[in-house]
Amino acid sequence: MKPLKLLALFIIPLGIIIAAVPADKTKHFRLTADELLQEAGAGVQFVSPDAVADMLVKKDPSLQLIDVRTPEEFDAYSLPGAINVPLSNLLSDQFTDILNQDAKMNVFYSNGSVTANQAWMITRQLGYQNNYVLQGGLNYWFGNILSPQAPAQTSSDEEFAKYDFRKSAAAALGGGSVVATEGSGPAVKAAKPPVTAKAKKKPSGGC
Amino acid sequence: MGPLAPNGIISENTNFLLAFFIGIAFGWVLESSGFSSSRKLAGIFYGYDTVVLKVFFTGAITVMLGLLFMSLFGWIDLDLVYVNPTYVTSAIVGGMIMGAGFIMGGFCPGTSFCGAAIGKIDGMVFIVGLFIGIYGFAFTYPWWEKLYMAKYLGEPKISKVLGMSDGLFALLLILVALGMFAVAEWAERKFPREEY
Repeated sequence: MKPLKLLALFIIPLGIIIAAVPADKTKHFRLTADELLQEAGAGVQFVSPDAVADMLVKKDPSLQLIDVRTPEEFDAYSLPGAINVPLSNLLSDQFTDILNQDAKMNVFYSNGSVTANQAWMITRQLGYQNNYVLQGGLNYWFGNILSPQAPAQTSSDEEFAKYDFRKSAAAALGGGSVVATEGSGPAVKAAKPPVTAKAKKKPSGGC
Repeated sequence: MGPLAPNGIISENTNFLLAFFIGIAFGWVLESSGFSSSRKLAGIFYGYDTVVLKVFFTGAITVMLGLLFMSLFGWIDLDLVYVNPTYVTSAIVGGMIMGAGFIMGGFCPGTSFCGAAIGKIDGMVFIVGLFIGIYGFAFTYPWWEKLYMAKYLGEPKISKVLGMSDGLFALLLILVALGMFAVAEWAERKFPREEY
């Protein structure tokens, strides 16, 4: 039998089978409600303001701050180097490359944590990696990073070290400027080590 | 389960090691299909030898069916498989440069290494040209950047654009490929060349 006929005899039935079956049975990156609840509950998305301040002071190029508030609010005040991706425009095509990437550490922030968390949940559900939320939002940022309160005399050394760091960070980042007031979420107090996610690397290919 | 490396089932290094062996196998298959002969390769432009068309389309169809069936069996998540992003302008310009280089040099990048590996001097000269091109492009990149990045389409799929399922598109592509193979074999009979 001619090779062409043999090939046709082999691949046409396979093609018919694949055309006839319902597509894609695999489980995709989409999280189930349970998984998302677990992740949100564990707070894996939060980056502590101290870690962000540290990266800002060191001008860490891997940090990308993303302001998810409205353009008006962004114009009134934004963190250094931040870009504005309003929550309502989160899914617009122009931002896909920013949100879906594996090079930088995106940190969403809003006045409180709620809007930023919404942005995180949406991007998480889309399977995007490396997106985080600034813990406590701008309110906590202003109250604690830019104008730190001296700890009580009886506080631990760590508290004093944190206070010293915040004082110098505030000096470097221009503390004491405009304070955003309209808040959406409570300030959560807990300094966690920065989350370093293992970036999934796509293999690059070509002929 | 798959893809193996992005899901962390094998390490990046193991991935490279596998790529190394697959690359050797790929080169061996290319060579044994006659891809180290630039006259055979150039035959696609004149119709006397269409092995390029047949090998690449058979390869593409094999991979396509393999991936679709593996996805069907739940062995691979196609959304995690890397797809080259499409930049329309650079695809067209690059395609023309590639085509011109192919017909003038008698090789495409991969096959030039095949030719060089069995000691063909034209293959080696082609590789030198390849590197001149790569470095030339890299060092003058700012001049081309705008052209290079123009008309970004993301990772479009023809099946999605046509609004059909991947499987149906696969079947159509198989039929088209078989049709092309038939035309190619007709061309080989119509424009024969004895010695090349």
